[in-house]
Amino acid sequence: MAHVDPSAMLDSLHPLEVKVLTAFTKTLEKGPLREEHIAQASGLEPSQLNMAVEWLLAKGLIRVESETLTPIASLTKIGERYFEKYSPIERILSTVRGADRTGKRLTIGELQAKEELGPTEVSSAIGCLKKEGALRVVPGGFVEATGMPSPTAEALRGALKDLHGTPRDLASFPEATRAVIERYSVKRGNANEPFRIDDHVQRHYGLSDNGQTAAAMLAREGPPQDVSPLTPELLKDGAWRGVRFRKYTISLRPPRVSMGRRHPYREFLDLVKRKLVSMGFQEMRGPLVETEFWNMDALFMPQFHPARNIHDVYFVKEPTHATPVAEPFLSRVAAAHQNGGTTGSTGWRYTYDRERARRLVLRSQGTAVSARTLAATPQIPGKYFSIARCFRYDHVDATHASDFFQIEGIVLAHDINFKILLGLLDLFAREVAQAKESKFLPAYFPFTEPSVELHVKHPRLGWIELGGAGLFRPEVTKPLGVDVPVIAWGLGLDRMAMVALGLHDIRDLFSPDLDRIRTTPGRF
Amino acid sequence: MPTVSVNLLDLQGLLGRDPSASTPEQIETLLPLVKGELKDWDSASGELRIELQDSNRPDLWCVEGIARQIRLKRTTAAPAYPFFAEGERPKRKVVVAPGLAEVRPYLAACTAVGYRMTDAGLAQLIQTQEKLADIFGHKRRTVSIGIYRLNQIVFPVSYTLVGPDEARFAPLGFSEKLTLREILNVHPKGQDYGGILAGHERLPLLRDAEGQILSFPPIINSQQIGEVVPGDDALFVEVTGTDHRMVVLTLNILAVNLADRGATIQPVLVEYPTDTELGQAVRTPRDFGRCHSIPAGAIESALGETLDAAQIRQALQSYGYELGPEPDPLSVKLPPYRNDLMHLVDVVEDVAISRGYGSFTPVMPSQFTVGSLSPLEECADRVRDLMVGMGFQEIMSNILSSRADLIDRMRLTGSEWDRLVEVDNVMVQTYASLRHGLLPSLLRVEESSSRAFYPHRIFEVGEAGLPDPGAELGSRTVTMLAGLVAHAKANFSEIHSCLDLLMFYLGCAYTLTPSSHPSFLDGRVGRIEVDGNPLGYIGEVHPEVLEQWQVLMPCAAFELELDPLLKRE
Repeated sequence: MAHVDPSAMLDSLHPLEVKVLTAFTKTLEKGPLREEHIAQASGLEPSQLNMAVEWLLAKGLIRVESETLTPIASLTKIGERYFEKYSPIERILSTVRGADRTGKRLTIGELQAKEELGPTEVSSAIGCLKKEGALRVVPGGFVEATGMPSPTAEALRGALKDLHGTPRDLASFPEATRAVIERYSVKRGNANEPFRIDDHVQRHYGLSDNGQTAAAMLAREGPPQDVSPLTPELLKDGAWRGVRFRKYTISLRPPRVSMGRRHPYREFLDLVKRKLVSMGFQEMRGPLVETEFWNMDALFMPQFHPARNIHDVYFVKEPTHATPVAEPFLSRVAAAHQNGGTTGSTGWRYTYDRERARRLVLRSQGTAVSARTLAATPQIPGKYFSIARCFRYDHVDATHASDFFQIEGIVLAHDINFKILLGLLDLFAREVAQAKESKFLPAYFPFTEPSVELHVKHPRLGWIELGGAGLFRPEVTKPLGVDVPVIAWGLGLDRMAMVALGLHDIRDLFSPDLDRIRTTPGRF
Repeated sequence: MPTVSVNLLDLQGLLGRDPSASTPEQIETLLPLVKGELKDWDSASGELRIELQDSNRPDLWCVEGIARQIRLKRTTAAPAYPFFAEGERPKRKVVVAPGLAEVRPYLAACTAVGYRMTDAGLAQLIQTQEKLADIFGHKRRTVSIGIYRLNQIVFPVSYTLVGPDEARFAPLGFSEKLTLREILNVHPKGQDYGGILAGHERLPLLRDAEGQILSFPPIINSQQIGEVVPGDDALFVEVTGTDHRMVVLTLNILAVNLADRGATIQPVLVEYPTDTELGQAVRTPRDFGRCHSIPAGAIESALGETLDAAQIRQALQSYGYELGPEPDPLSVKLPPYRNDLMHLVDVVEDVAISRGYGSFTPVMPSQFTVGSLSPLEECADRVRDLMVGMGFQEIMSNILSSRADLIDRMRLTGSEWDRLVEVDNVMVQTYASLRHGLLPSLLRVEESSSRAFYPHRIFEVGEAGLPDPGAELGSRTVTMLAGLVAHAKANFSEIHSCLDLLMFYLGCAYTLTPSSHPSFLDGRVGRIEVDGNPLGYIGEVHPEVLEQWQVLMPCAAFELELDPLLKRE
């Protein structure tokens, strides 16, 4: 430790530390001290002593002079029971000897039943006694005593008696007893033993050079008058001027506090939200429960589309249907599906079911919100976005959530075309994903044509799909009363969010684990 | 979106052993032409797994179709499929019996001779048959496919209806003969697809001129005639279903696939008892595509790219389109294996794909617009800021939950709050209802966080669904706020202070009316009201609720709707 000003050091001493240092000065000439000696001389409780010793070690005022490990033997709960009721070895030996005296012979099975011992206890006890020659097993499976003594049984009894209630230094036992204690002590993989051996650490502490200086100053000047808190009273009458303030050890770890904070996933979504607003997008919102009409029909997904059945979408139980869908949208969408209506399309050529249009579902795609916006006289030019909770009939696992956010939107303007669609995606790649490289691939969505997938090069993940987009088909826009080209776009940001939050399971975005939420920094 | 397995050698062969389209890496760069993505590839077996995105292009869901689209682009010589041309009357015919109009009306068929079936070819044929019937044909409901050994069949074949006990044959996978009824009950395919025929007393059957049974569409083929093996070189292919155009298109795809492998396709005449959209006697395969007249200018303006008529012509031709001679407007027709042209925009996309998306220079949108958040989100953000300022940690939770969590554990059974927006087709009970409050979400956090150091101060601002029989959608989506404190001394007074401060900064004069609510302790709960309208509740969480959630720490909480606050402003 670097040289420090001992008087400054003195000012920072906690009263507990003062007591420990004083204990050293009292006994200075005797050299390094053991913990119990420090406790005696300072009069501190063990917990206080531990704290003070830790602090003084951290400050470099005392040091560990030597450390010895002493194996200490003690009885486990099983050991205490053996002390009272005898160990299996002792019991079996005495039962067999007793039976021999009355001329009765017992089998191993009978012994087990009589003594109410487990088969392994019995077999290991008999094994040991056989080896020592105290018992033998004769034809017919009977166990007999040989009349020879069992050193193990005797050593066990001695050790149980000696250790009952008082742990002892293992070294204080004679060699043979020590071996028995070691053999029958708790080890990894075998907790059912009568003895345990713990290494007791005995440290001797001594004063460092700084510590000696500090201790000498303490002895000379007495402990500093310790005024820890600055109080309103001290301020009121100016008495603080005559007071010495103890200096704190500021390198110690502070106590924990909790704070108010936005959820880390929210911070991520807020960032996206800010980016979109800064690019001129207005937020739109829509209901969690939707009709099939707005969720699918208005998006030109035919009613026979394979992704519209009970294995893809959640249907609402009660009520099953909404009030009739507003006109003129219903008739125009129906015509677009059946024969194209006035959209210039051939349509899907099937009989559109107007009843089904009212069927209620849990919103399965954020595009439903865009469809409603298109029908509500949007601004032209206009840019819109939504961060909409969506629901899919999926097995929930590390990559599928029961409900999740979709970030979607639309752009309306007279001059929109395919190259402007690519320009918008390029902007997203740079602004939202901070990607330097991006590429466009052909894609398929039922409601856009042409359709594009945006892939960006993520610094850690390599090429990832950031989103999908396209120009809404006229079969979508015209029936909803929009006559300009419309870009529809969606961003798949959960993967980026998970990387930023250090998550590997999508369910953890909505984790109920407060500790995890508190300790997730969220760096974007 | 189907994913197909493709054998690399087979694909290379179909690509004409083009050295620049030979490695998986080279092939991957060509897949945008078919909206395909290489999912993985196994160098040991040479198997590529390719996902095809376009659900309107079933012709691409097979190695032949993928190879065809790539080949077109690289050679521009359109493959010749002479069998689509109206020629002499087909030698073979299938006669459709009356009554099928009610069950499974349409059939299309052809024969394919001269291609000796290889292992790879058969594997592809079976895969194509499965993908088309399963995805395009809605699990065989609208379209199903049968393929047979031609040499054993005596024409004309009849497509007819019989009673369930009137016909017996050994279906694929069985050596003994079963009646149609037994097939429906016993055969795995009968169990899987029998539902398609539910309610019909008479069932479809394909039988040849000598009475041999070919199959029981759309369930199963006969073991004897309907099992194709490698080495076979004469096939009879038929498609049945409920949509005439889809049935014919499916046959067209199978026919061009077999033709690409070297088979000679011969059309079959299908005779219906009455007239159909495509006529009473329909020769299949059949090109029913029609010409569309498209001004080149429309394509240019949709793409935002200056292209001359020749460039557009080139792009479309090398993507398989058939073009009329006029330069502008163009007369365009899809090849017979496609039927996905609904609108001009579909042609626009094909021009873009054919030219390659990478060939277009992105142009930044130039129109000025003003960005903004919705008033509700502005309000939610402000509430979040205030709650954070009071030391609350924000929570985000799933909206789907269970009745057990939302009602039972909240002591709400039988109360005025026990109605929920529930899912009809429940997958798991854990996610079967929309939450109607946020307090259960916060208690779930408490349940999972007893080891996080106290005090806990948590809140959530989020959406919930409230049943409302009078509303257009039968329910209302509301945005709510819930706040909760949990620690050894958490009480009403503490959470009240938080609510009071929040309402002060929101500029919202509120009153607390003594009330009762089963989730809170009686006498320590109040209804939050603004302008006499109830907004929510505040109180000490009922110990029985805490017990239900296995929370061992006192909790005080409030919950209110944010939407009404907005309407006041």
